[in-house]
Amino acid sequence: MKKEDTVKLISAEGMEFVIDKEAAMVSQTIRNMLTSPGGFAEAEHGEVTFPEISAVILEKICQYFYWSLQYSRGKETEFHIEPELTLELMMAANYLHT
Amino acid sequence: MGGVCSRKRDQQVVEDGMRRGVSGRYGKSGSSKWLLTSFSRPMVVHQPGLAICPSLMELCIDKICEDINQYSSFTMLPKDISQQIFNKLVLSHLLTDVFLQKFRDCALEDVWLGEYPGVQDSWMDVISSQGTSLLSVDLSGSDVTDIGLGLLKECSSLQALTFNHCENISEIGLKHISGLTNLTSLSFKKSAAITAEGMCAFSSLINLEKLDLERCTGIHGGFVHIKGLSKLESLNIRCCKCITDLDLKAISGLNNLKELQMSNSNITDFGLSYLRGLHKLVMLNLEGCNVTAGCLDSISALVALAFLNLGRCGLTDDGCDKFSGIESLKVLNLAFNNITDACLVHLKGLTNLESLNLDSCKIGDEGLANLTGLSLLKSLELSDTEVGSSGLRHLSGLTHLETLNLSFTLVTDSGLKKLSGLTALKSLNLDARQITDAGLSALTSLTGLVHLDLFGARISDTGTNYLRCFKNLQSLEICGGGLTDAGVKNIKDLPSLTLLNLSQNCNLTNKSLELISGMFCLIFSSSRLVVVFSVFQLSCFYERCALVMDFAFCVANAGLNALVSLNVSNSNITNDGLPYLKPLKNLRSLSLESCKVTAAEIKKLQSSALPNLVSFRPE
Repeated sequence: MKKEDTVKLISAEGMEFVIDKEAAMVSQTIRNMLTSPGGFAEAEHGEVTFPEISAVILEKICQYFYWSLQYSRGKETEFHIEPELTLELMMAANYLHT
Repeated sequence: MGGVCSRKRDQQVVEDGMRRGVSGRYGKSGSSKWLLTSFSRPMVVHQPGLAICPSLMELCIDKICEDINQYSSFTMLPKDISQQIFNKLVLSHLLTDVFLQKFRDCALEDVWLGEYPGVQDSWMDVISSQGTSLLSVDLSGSDVTDIGLGLLKECSSLQALTFNHCENISEIGLKHISGLTNLTSLSFKKSAAITAEGMCAFSSLINLEKLDLERCTGIHGGFVHIKGLSKLESLNIRCCKCITDLDLKAISGLNNLKELQMSNSNITDFGLSYLRGLHKLVMLNLEGCNVTAGCLDSISALVALAFLNLGRCGLTDDGCDKFSGIESLKVLNLAFNNITDACLVHLKGLTNLESLNLDSCKIGDEGLANLTGLSLLKSLELSDTEVGSSGLRHLSGLTHLETLNLSFTLVTDSGLKKLSGLTALKSLNLDARQITDAGLSALTSLTGLVHLDLFGARISDTGTNYLRCFKNLQSLEICGGGLTDAGVKNIKDLPSLTLLNLSQNCNLTNKSLELISGMFCLIFSSSRLVVVFSVFQLSCFYERCALVMDFAFCVANAGLNALVSLNVSNSNITNDGLPYLKPLKNLRSLSLESCKVTAAEIKKLQSSALPNLVSFRPE
């Protein structure tokens, strides 16, 4: 996987998730960060830090990104959400426009 | 011809369409109109083959609704999120008084519980706890009483309040809303308890722009209380039989009124004279009122008037010369009046007209000569008139015409070639028994047609060959009885078809189902198709209406293409034909009355292949 095709998402604790840019772009917020011209440092380094999102939630979000790509390609499976994560995940989804 | 009668009824809804301007809604074709009506709501039509992925937000909200018992309160959530959870619970009919408690103090902005089951005073405590965040509330059809309404007093930011047909609200309750001065919209449709005295509560609502008191029976004399509402732009007092001319005196000073609906009330010409000063009035609906052409004197003083509905007023030619003075008119409805060609002379100068409805008037060919100069006309309704073939020559110059209804006229095949130049036509209704294949052959230049109604026309299999010229056709009705399976073969190749009505063609067999079903497979991913075979049109009128609405819902939700209603009653369909319906996964209603089909077989089909089938006959 070429470096320019990936993006690094960093959780509040500093946990790093390297995922496909295409997957990350499922989030409108991340898409804006990575594509707005001449703006965000995120676009330059391919790194986004989320001081408000914990690793366990960020991992779930990454799972969702890939699930979403598959879904839109016709693989309509169910996305499981653990009840204890729902509220926190929802806040993050709200922030990420996902 | 049950269908014939059923179609007449939808003429009364014209005022709803007025604000949208001219559209296909004026067409006589019931089915086409429903289609347009239902499709006019915001709706995303998705690309075929691409599944719409639910957002993570939606998934989380679904999950919360599923586990709702595990949450005690949503106050810790941002208010826009709790609003989404609330809306979802309402939409999925999961909200109960117990779950409602979890939304206490959530700063919700909208509480839309209109027609929601079980809503009563015990719900109002939580609703009012939203405090000044609350902007709009709809509790239509609820059991809320004056006490419950009183709890909203504290929600001083409220802008819109809807309490349609709430039988337990009385004038005492109305007093509670008098302090809600931020209200811009207020609706108390069909509220018998609203009295003239109760309307006193409205007098302080100085920001009110929209007031809806449709079907209120006790408001006579109460308009004096809304005299001072100078921002009022829209007033609906349709079907308020109690209203008299003197009530109009009280609203004569509401100079900002743009829309006034008074259909089916006892207003007379005298009452209308009070309205002469409403110089901003754009829309006036007087359908079914006791007015005569004498009211045109007052109406011509309304300089901004663009939409005028005088349908079913019993107008005669006497006094119709005053029409010539209302030059601002864009939409004029004169349907079901006793006017003749002599009246049409006075419409000659209304060159801004875009829509003219002369349904069931006593007009004929000579009268149409007066319409030749109305070059902006987009919609012309001539159904049930004495117009015949020779009159059509007067229409050939109306090149902007998009909708033309000639059903139940005397027009014959030979006249139809006069229409061949009207290439802007999108909707054409030729539901008349004397129209045949030959007439259809003269229309092949009308390639922009989207809706074609040949309901009672005697179209045979041969005639269906001409249909291939109409590649844009979305709805088609051919119910004259002359079609066989061979004709359906031609119909199945229309790429844009969304609604097809082939009822009353008794010779159609299982082969037709196979062809139609094949069409679904063929077009499944590229088009939207509904087939409505309907024989019992009279009784099914409202049902069909609802089904087409449901269809829109299905399209919005499931993606595309979904046969929602299928009625092949009174044909040669047998049990053996049923398996062809299997690809029609979205089918919700199936009617095969008077066919050789049994309820047991349909039930089998339902359980094995048609999960959405909710209604079927025989049952």
